[in-house]
Amino acid sequence: MENVIKDQKELRMEVRESHLCTGCGACVNLCPYQIYYRDQVIEWHPCDIKSGRCYAYCPRTPVNLDVLKAELFEESLLTPEIGAIKGFYVTRAADISIRKGAQHGGTVTALMSLALQERIIDTAIVADKGQGLLSQGVSLNKAADLKNRGKSRFIVSPNIAEFNRQAQVGGKKIGIVVTPCQSLSLAKMRTKPVPTHAERIDQLTLVIGLFCGWALSWEMLSLLLGREGIDVKDIEGMDIPPSKYQLLQVYTMNGTVDIPLDKVDPACVREACRYCTDMTAEFTDISVGSARLPEGWEVAKGWNQVIVRTELGEKLIDLARSKGILEFHDIPEGNLERLKNASISKKRTALERISASRAAVRET
Amino acid sequence: MSKLLEKKIGTSHLLMGNEAIVRGALEAGVNVAAGYPGTPSSEIVESLSKIAKKMGLYVEWSVNEKVSLEVAAAASFANLRALCPMKQNGVNVASDFLLHLALSGIRGGLVLVSCDDPGALSSVNEGESRHFARLLEIPLLEPGNFQEAKDMTKWAFELSEEIKSVVMLRSVTRMSHASGSVMFGPLPETGRKAYFKSDGFILDLETGPVISAPVGYRHPIQQGKIKKVREIFEESPFNTYEGPEISDLLIITSSACTLYSREAIHLLCLADRVGLLKLGTTWPLPPKLLKKYLATTDKILIVEEVLPFLEEHVKVIAAEEAKEIGAKTFYGKNDGTIPMNGELNPDIVVKALSHIMGVPNEPMAPEYEKKAQLVAFTMAPNREQTFCPGCPHRASFWNIHKALQLDNRQGFVCGDIGCYSMAAIPAGFSTIRTLHSMGSGLGVASGFGKLDMFGMNQPVLAVCGDSTFFHAVLPPLVNAIHHQANVTLVVLDNSGTAMTGFQPHPGLNVDAMGDKAPNLDIAEICRVMGANVEIRDPFNLEATQSTLNQLMTESGVKVLILRQVCALSPEKKGKKKFKMQIDKEKCIGTDCGCNRFCTRILRCPGLVWDKDEKKAWIDEVICAGCGICSDVCPSGAIIREEVV
Amino acid sequence: MRDLFGCVSLGRHYPRGGCLSAMKEQNILKDPYNIIITGVGGQGSVMASRVLSNMLSLYGFKITIGETFGASQRGGSVMSHIRVSGCGTWSPQIPKGRANLVVALEPVESLRVLMTYGNPEICILANIRPTYPVGVIAGDLSYPEPEDIDKTLHTLAGQVLLIDATKEAVELGNPILSNIIMIGAVCGLGLLPIGVKEFRSVIQNMIPAKHLEINVIAFELGQRKSIVKIE
Repeated sequence: MENVIKDQKELRMEVRESHLCTGCGACVNLCPYQIYYRDQVIEWHPCDIKSGRCYAYCPRTPVNLDVLKAELFEESLLTPEIGAIKGFYVTRAADISIRKGAQHGGTVTALMSLALQERIIDTAIVADKGQGLLSQGVSLNKAADLKNRGKSRFIVSPNIAEFNRQAQVGGKKIGIVVTPCQSLSLAKMRTKPVPTHAERIDQLTLVIGLFCGWALSWEMLSLLLGREGIDVKDIEGMDIPPSKYQLLQVYTMNGTVDIPLDKVDPACVREACRYCTDMTAEFTDISVGSARLPEGWEVAKGWNQVIVRTELGEKLIDLARSKGILEFHDIPEGNLERLKNASISKKRTALERISASRAAVRET
Repeated sequence: MSKLLEKKIGTSHLLMGNEAIVRGALEAGVNVAAGYPGTPSSEIVESLSKIAKKMGLYVEWSVNEKVSLEVAAAASFANLRALCPMKQNGVNVASDFLLHLALSGIRGGLVLVSCDDPGALSSVNEGESRHFARLLEIPLLEPGNFQEAKDMTKWAFELSEEIKSVVMLRSVTRMSHASGSVMFGPLPETGRKAYFKSDGFILDLETGPVISAPVGYRHPIQQGKIKKVREIFEESPFNTYEGPEISDLLIITSSACTLYSREAIHLLCLADRVGLLKLGTTWPLPPKLLKKYLATTDKILIVEEVLPFLEEHVKVIAAEEAKEIGAKTFYGKNDGTIPMNGELNPDIVVKALSHIMGVPNEPMAPEYEKKAQLVAFTMAPNREQTFCPGCPHRASFWNIHKALQLDNRQGFVCGDIGCYSMAAIPAGFSTIRTLHSMGSGLGVASGFGKLDMFGMNQPVLAVCGDSTFFHAVLPPLVNAIHHQANVTLVVLDNSGTAMTGFQPHPGLNVDAMGDKAPNLDIAEICRVMGANVEIRDPFNLEATQSTLNQLMTESGVKVLILRQVCALSPEKKGKKKFKMQIDKEKCIGTDCGCNRFCTRILRCPGLVWDKDEKKAWIDEVICAGCGICSDVCPSGAIIREEVV
Repeated sequence: MRDLFGCVSLGRHYPRGGCLSAMKEQNILKDPYNIIITGVGGQGSVMASRVLSNMLSLYGFKITIGETFGASQRGGSVMSHIRVSGCGTWSPQIPKGRANLVVALEPVESLRVLMTYGNPEICILANIRPTYPVGVIAGDLSYPEPEDIDKTLHTLAGQVLLIDATKEAVELGNPILSNIIMIGAVCGLGLLPIGVKEFRSVIQNMIPAKHLEINVIAFELGQRKSIVKIE
């Protein structure tokens, strides 16, 4: 199946107007025509180029995922549930100061810092706090700057837009922390579907992905927090514990506020996320999420589950172990199985929703 | 010395219609002139302002047409002669006062000159001002050539003083801005003293107060004046007939249409069959005169712009006199012979005559016409209107458009009258979505700003210029603030009334006669009224844009003043702030990543696209050096260097 | 008595025989003689038409001028219609197909006016230097080559003269002089009985004295251009 690369108008109609835009930022900073503003991609002016990079790099335009996976990973490592598995670990950052500034175990911060220190990369792109609840991508060169940037951002951070911006300069080795949709966009870029500036992707060196269920809409979350009487300025962090708790926890200066998850999901969930089939960020070198341990959430929330997918990922984990950057926990029986089931559940739900919406369209 | 001040009698000069009107006013000994800039009338006050000091006149650019008529009326009440010129919609603005002025009467001669714009060559309407004469019951004169433009204006002052009523003189673009030969008369010694006598008995027209009440007393008196004028008009030398004693067709016409009609008769060689009755006194129509000429024919063609004003009144007279003169066949607008809208020209009248008289007419050989049309369409590229190079409006609307796009709620701009009205077309990124009259932008916006209770979520902006602000924006601003409408007013302050030729206004520290005058600060006024006010330079794209986005999230009335001098203003013309050039290595051109963003989208005439080299370049002759294209280029290929 | 149009003269405004004898005395080929000065808003076509009209008026003709100002000035096409007559005031707009001479300060504008005012006998004098419309500048529309404009004009006109008035003006020291060169070229054609004498009288009232001589030089340069071409 040959994927036709279309233009800005098709991108708008097929993705944004169909509520499929995840806000990943892949179509931003390639040109002046798309601008990112408050978790939305805005079409600023019309562009009439027939085949554009914006359409080619968007993770929501048609692509053959199997072909893509075969190109980027060893065939024997691929699993239908959670992509390529070269290794599976439960870890946390050995450095307590890293863990303090992180969402869970601080593994991502530790690995990125290590990559910078070992000069595997010279630039690390991570999510940073923007105005209020908003996020933006930021490029860092010093490992020390990565600390305290580890908290989860429930509103998408357009890190690919930052990658596009950095890559214009040339000659870099870039590491990046991404969501599943963003990892797919980078994978598409690697196949160089459009010749213009195609060599820029060669600067992409290391991709660390985050497990993701969904992102929240800035507009709806702002309204919800307003209704709950929470001032955005007071928020220090947010978290979603395992599903049995059915909560969104908001950590504020005045204490923790528990919001029932049914007020959040589906009302505040970004529409596009409802059709996503990737929970574990399958197009990465390493993917990281929160751990599940028999000791319960209070302990588990300080650890990460880690999937290594590539040789580079394996090299980095080994380096982390040998340098004592990461602490390793025994992997509880059945954790991998449970992770696979959770991922399958997300895939199934997404496919059901896609079918239902297709049927609805056919009926009209 | 201005030719308008020529003292020698009998000299002939090539004058614009507006200049002829000025000369007529001078020959009548005018003392005061007040107006508001409006094409095609602006040259009248402009010319007078240049000679004001020499001739001892008071000349004012008033804040709007209503006030200008009030200022002129005051001069008249004080026994001076006053002239008040305006474009057609100015009469609408002045009409409330004019209605009462017609009732109250005047003292010194007062002439209102209305310059209509049939075909809307420089307007967003082609309203007819002649109807005001009938509606408000004042005499109406229409000059049919340039000599008459002068002679009628002079006589209008005499008539006005005789009947103690304001007299309306109506011109059109093709008279005001066209030029022809005018022979001069004498310039009088003026020496009138201003004194307002008002302490007489309340009903005494000469010495009592000038008021429109009691209406039951004043209205019949006003109508009596019209009756008297009708008699005067029967004998007026401004109504002329040329042609055979009995004609196959009588053309009744006025104003510039006289020239078209005469030429049409000449072109078709119909001078011995078609009569031409040119009316110069068109309200009230002189019935005896009309009866006389209606009787000389069975067919009448009425040629006028824009609406069938003469046509319908002539038909009334014809109906009244039908018993004596017989039934007539009328051709004009109501039967479709002459178009009901747009301006006329000799060809339209030729076509009508040719049809009625059965005379063949082929102005252009069909083959030639076809060839010439094909050439024009295929070889002469269209000249779209756009902002001048270096125009601050281009930058302002670049920012406004971007702010609305980012906000992403289908926000819009309510537009107003000025050069910036062009923001309704691609020159201004099609941001303006309503456009009516002076001050209506904010008026309409203040209405939109109260519709949130009906679920309206779209951000509402209004734009106006600095001159427009003083003309008509103050009342809707008060309205918006008091009613707490959610609206952002963007005042495009380019330090002048740019569209009509850079006349001064109360925001500047100089007046029409070039004297120093205290200026009013728009920002202060808005603040004192209670609006949230910010001032930015539109050429600073980033600052303007983030301020706009911020203001659009706030409630109530916000005023953003974008202050930057017009590119054509005397202080800026010819001086460049930056020297601009393009680094061809960095220019991406047609590739993905740029797609000619500067030439295709910003579209400044100074940015030229070279189809062969596939690069942009700066035309230094056209470029005004404002520098904004440098911020617009996505690859940093446009370099700006400050000119020392 | 029939005039040049073959019809009986009009009543009191154009007295019988008046036009013909006036014409003979005053040396114009037709009465009215219709000139269109066309260009782009801001090029100075208004000034050019004033100069030419005042020169003709000085000679003794009755002139009527029709012009478009205002909004069309912002980069749009502009036209001045000049009616040169021995006897009367004519319509400020020339009737269809009746222009006798087109003076184009911009080349494609000469093509544009022919659609409405052209005829096979028309004489066209055009400055060959283009002023590109925004659509062409922006790369969306194309602009014809000078050779094609020249060739096309010859198929639609009786007499065509193209000069690079802008280049000559720049060589004289100021591009603004291009309009004066064009006026000189008009006079050099020999279609109107006016020359440098009338030019001097008119221009000295319109510009500062220090610029008088360079304007006369520009005028005479233009005159020579068209005299040469006609021969």
